Amino acid sequence: MGKELVSIIVPVTERFDNVTELFQEYKNGLLNIENPTEFIYVLDGDFPEVFSELVKLQETGETIKIVKLAKWFGESIALTAGVEVAAGELILTLPAYYQVKAEHLGKMFESLEGNDMVICRRWPRSDSLFSRVQTRVFHRILKFIDGYLFRDLGCGVRLFKKVVMDEISVYGDQHRFLPILALRQGFKVLEINIPQSEKEKGTRIYGAGVYLRRLIDILSIFFLVKFTKKPLRFFGLIGSATFILGGALLLFLAIERLFYGVPLGDRPLLLLGALLFVLGIQVFATGLIGELIIFTHAKELKEYTIEEIV
Amino acid sequence: MKLSIIAPLYNEEDSVKALYESITGAVKPLGYDYEILFVDDGSKDNTFEIAKSLSQQDEHLIIIKFRRNYGQTPAMVAGIDNASGDVLITMDGDLQNDPRDIAELLTKINEGYDIVVGWRHKRKDKLITRKIPSKIANWLIGKVTGVPIKDNGCSLKCYRANIIKNVPLYSEMHRFIPAMASITGAKIAEIKVRHHERQFGESKYGLSRIYKVLLDLLTIKTITTFASRPLLWFSILAIPPFIVSVVAFGISVWNLYSGSNDMLLSLAGTGLLFAGLVIILLMSGVVCELIYKTGNLKHKSLAFLTTNITNSKN
Repeated sequence: MGKELVSIIVPVTERFDNVTELFQEYKNGLLNIENPTEFIYVLDGDFPEVFSELVKLQETGETIKIVKLAKWFGESIALTAGVEVAAGELILTLPAYYQVKAEHLGKMFESLEGNDMVICRRWPRSDSLFSRVQTRVFHRILKFIDGYLFRDLGCGVRLFKKVVMDEISVYGDQHRFLPILALRQGFKVLEINIPQSEKEKGTRIYGAGVYLRRLIDILSIFFLVKFTKKPLRFFGLIGSATFILGGALLLFLAIERLFYGVPLGDRPLLLLGALLFVLGIQVFATGLIGELIIFTHAKELKEYTIEEIV
Repeated sequence: MKLSIIAPLYNEEDSVKALYESITGAVKPLGYDYEILFVDDGSKDNTFEIAKSLSQQDEHLIIIKFRRNYGQTPAMVAGIDNASGDVLITMDGDLQNDPRDIAELLTKINEGYDIVVGWRHKRKDKLITRKIPSKIANWLIGKVTGVPIKDNGCSLKCYRANIIKNVPLYSEMHRFIPAMASITGAKIAEIKVRHHERQFGESKYGLSRIYKVLLDLLTIKTITTFASRPLLWFSILAIPPFIVSVVAFGISVWNLYSGSNDMLLSLAGTGLLFAGLVIILLMSGVVCELIYKTGNLKHKSLAFLTTNITNSKN
């Protein structure tokens, strides 16, 4: 195992636990690894209490870099900002709240051998049944739609080489799917089990909006992975299907009108047929716009990633 | 003039050495400066290790290793992007093409052609699963794109670097490179080349998914005809719905005032829907104009790649 510098990035967003305690726990958990470490706290917006606690820690002699974003940008951007200032070749992201038992973090470094990214699954879990079911369901849907076998993307503990973030850009809520995007770029990703921290307690029930957002995330990842480079294939298929359905309806109506003398003007079916017909063309046109974007930017969008040239 | 020979490799550990030797044997006597680019498309076997050891003995050989398997088009694009030659030659990595044909390709380039494609006129593949589908596909591609090439699937092709480096290639377009290149006005020639049976391993890139080829073909046809004048094309597309809209709405209104005092609501609704479509199509055209303007693909600069400027001597 190398002795590369490890940059530990802790993004602080809405949810955080006692900063000083958690810092000490992480620090003790990482004592037994041989690599030198640096801590980077990224404050995603204004968190005066966290900031003052971190400053206090700095005064007691701890080396902590504090990156304070001017407003709330979301965890993906916070993460990216952290990587930007990181000096290490290895990046370890840790959540600002209790998720895993810190004393087991060394295991991640052992598993990095031969991989580009090690993510962890909180297992065995010690929180409520509801939270566990929630995680299960989320990953079942993910597996069903996207076909990926990760079992705990909600866990923020991830160790990876800096090149991974150089080649992937995340925005919005995509930080959650970093392992998927990394896998798609050809990096080797390994999931290991780390016991969940007993301090991560309480059943978190989110609003319906949050669950909807997760679902949309899964769908957007699906689109991103499968169709970004061929939008017309995606839209064209949906568009043609709708178009053909609408066209068939209109044809049927026209035949009835012409050969059987059924009056056409007042039939509601006409409206449906016309709607589908029009919709089909619109969807297709959208696909065409997408394709034009790719076509005119094909020279900038690299479809491949090169590991090395010799 | 410098040559770059590009070959994508995917699990070709048996043939990589033979390929390297036959290319070198064919290209060295030609007397040009040259480089060979092997693109390792995420092979799972020892292809990269073998190729790497070869490259350590020969500075002409460059190996590009992908992180994972991306497919034949990205592999070729990577080779094209990293090539430094003035003339680029692409070929299969499985020894089915014969590097001895490179000399003939170059003769055509020297005659003034921009792209020379190979035609495997005595193809050594299975008849039903490979040759017949490819015949149909080639006929269709020729008809639709207007670039009548007998064998689009042949990887042995030769390009002037400035042309191929400026043609947009993505998705699975390696089959359509001549068609894509025709937007630059490139002069294309086709010559007969040798074709060998596979010596090692199984065929990896097949014409297996025909519907994908068809969809890609449709995409390319649409995009190449409409890319430079999107507003015009969308406007033309908007004419039929406009007529439908006027007629449908007209009949319905005429019916209202011609005594029956009864408006044909469905027909009126249909008229409105089509009117909406007209507006959306026109707006899509405007958006596309905007994309084209801000994009970095300019037909103007593409035209100059192949423009022949002659000054009068006096």
